[in-house]
Amino acid sequence: MEAVPRQWFQSPWNFREAIIFTVLALLAGFVLQYAVSGAGIVIPEWPFNVMLLALFAAVVFGLGIAFRKNPALSWFGDIPLGLCLILALAALSLIGGIVPQDPSAQQSMLTRLRLNQIFSGWPFAVIIILFLANLGLALVWKLIPFSMKNLQFILFHAGFWIALSCGIFGSSDLQRLVIFIEEGKANHLGYRMDSDTPVSLPFSVFLHDFSLEEYSPQLFLYDPSSDRLIMDRSQAVLDMRKGTSASWKGVDVLVLEYLPSALPGHDGTPLPADRSKGIPFAKVRITIHGKQQETWISTGSPFLRPDDAQLGSLYLVMVPGTPKLFRSAVTLQDNTGRTEMANLQVNKPVGFGGWKLYQMGYDEKNGRWSRLSIIEAIRDPWLPAVYVGFFMLMAGNILFFWNGIKRTEVTS
Amino acid sequence: MSFDFNTAAVTAMACWAAGTLFHALSRKTAALKLPGTAISLAGSAVILVFIAVYWTALDRPPLRTLGETRLWYAALIPLVGFLVEYRWKIDWLKYYCMGLAAFFLGINLRIPDVFDKTLMPALQSPWFIPHVVVYLVGYVLLAASSVTALHNVTLRLRSKDNAAGKTVAHYLAILGFVLLTFGLIFGALWAKEAWGHYWTWDPKETWALLSWLAYLGYLHAFRHRIDSDKLQWYLALSFLVLLVCWFGVNYLPSASNSVHSYTQG
Repeated sequence: MEAVPRQWFQSPWNFREAIIFTVLALLAGFVLQYAVSGAGIVIPEWPFNVMLLALFAAVVFGLGIAFRKNPALSWFGDIPLGLCLILALAALSLIGGIVPQDPSAQQSMLTRLRLNQIFSGWPFAVIIILFLANLGLALVWKLIPFSMKNLQFILFHAGFWIALSCGIFGSSDLQRLVIFIEEGKANHLGYRMDSDTPVSLPFSVFLHDFSLEEYSPQLFLYDPSSDRLIMDRSQAVLDMRKGTSASWKGVDVLVLEYLPSALPGHDGTPLPADRSKGIPFAKVRITIHGKQQETWISTGSPFLRPDDAQLGSLYLVMVPGTPKLFRSAVTLQDNTGRTEMANLQVNKPVGFGGWKLYQMGYDEKNGRWSRLSIIEAIRDPWLPAVYVGFFMLMAGNILFFWNGIKRTEVTS
Repeated sequence: MSFDFNTAAVTAMACWAAGTLFHALSRKTAALKLPGTAISLAGSAVILVFIAVYWTALDRPPLRTLGETRLWYAALIPLVGFLVEYRWKIDWLKYYCMGLAAFFLGINLRIPDVFDKTLMPALQSPWFIPHVVVYLVGYVLLAASSVTALHNVTLRLRSKDNAAGKTVAHYLAILGFVLLTFGLIFGALWAKEAWGHYWTWDPKETWALLSWLAYLGYLHAFRHRIDSDKLQWYLALSFLVLLVCWFGVNYLPSASNSVHSYTQG
């Protein structure tokens, strides 16, 4: 018997229908986005987002259980549509990975289609909802009846479903507030990134001390005509100490003396000083074509002019090192009077009353002498749910790895 | 530095070239095979020793700049080639791997890295090494998978079928995908500690997700038994997305605000 090619939309549906469906969904998303003039999606806040998500999950899982044998639903929860939606998500991510995601971009066709904020627009939302439905159906069919051999599938897919849905539906409850505090003062007001109106926090932060450590200062030749710092020939970042040398074309520099923290004395010669006031000084011997000169150079500070050495049209300068560590010693106090002392540092946030506090920045113009610390307070009540998703994904991943290794016999 | 990069790179490349020659000749004189393997592995060993010396001199793991990650890549990818040969008796992959490794060393020879000991506060974290190493090994495996798939494509064009090669490309892709998943999640957990949120659509994050989705797509297509010859094309091309994610993101218009660019202009 001769095989008859399947007609379009002839049951059972397969890839062709999935491709058309996905393309139409994307188009619908963009048309909708255009129609609302590029406005973003506002996800309702607690408790409405959790109700919405529960309803969505109930519909998907309910339909999956009730109409398991329905051919249209089978197609909806099957791999062809899943694959097309994965590729649609990849395509939208591609747009988001190329077009700068800048909310303040000038009005144009780009902003009307919200390509500058693609991940909060309608096309992304439509694809995500369809994707969660497709993934949810596939999941419920593997989940019921339960079998241990489906464990890897369940962990991976359920983990992804939970992390993705809670991350997105919970994003409206995420609060990120920036707090500016000066040494010796307390503050309980935070600012959202996109607004000038302060928000009152349920606790106050008192800043005892802000401190910053720097890496070793660096020697450069400065070319004022091009406003460029030229690195020495070794292309190495230097460790400043007695005996350190650096060289450029025709210029050799040797450090004769190095004072990490000093202040100029009465006759101008630097003398060691306390770290809180002093700046790095170096006595250098500069050799240009056999001619030698010795001089003191320094990095300068907000209060002291830097000392450099003029070499013809160029200057030998000492530039302060990049920040190595910065830290705020704070006391936190909530409305009930509970207090806690803490050290805030990059990568070491501190939790307090459901919030997490992060060392974010300081007054960069004053660097080491900054008396201002910038702290970010973040509250994300959905985080535990997202993390459950992450850990399920990782557990599924370990099983996947294990099974992948076990079945690696090649049939040649 | 006492042991400089140029010496190490040239020595390693010479080892791989000699190893390739020995292996090619071993088709006629079988006795040359073992020394060929030994010389090729010595090439990777030279780079690994250089990494160790460099690590000590830097006082921090050399995993910060792209040039530093290329060093690891150059050392590890030939090892994958030989592992595949040892495990699955597939002998051609190692040539591609050594070629790729030499190519990456070549980039580093053309554009020398700045010897920079500093590590900004955001990178000073226990997550630094697991996040980068998992990605690095993942990229190595996926590069090998892509090369295998490309080889399968060329065989197909000459009307030869290569079932064993397809299986190898597939398993390398699975292992690579597993590591990409870990890399992505480790990155998210680290981002929460360092920047306050696990996902912010930073360009590098977006491209990492895109690469992950590309391989997720592959796994589903494979599961649905899509024509395996088409899938070889898919695998061969997926690596391009990874390459953009790895090296290309910094050059894209979207990258101006990325938290992932660690080389000062």
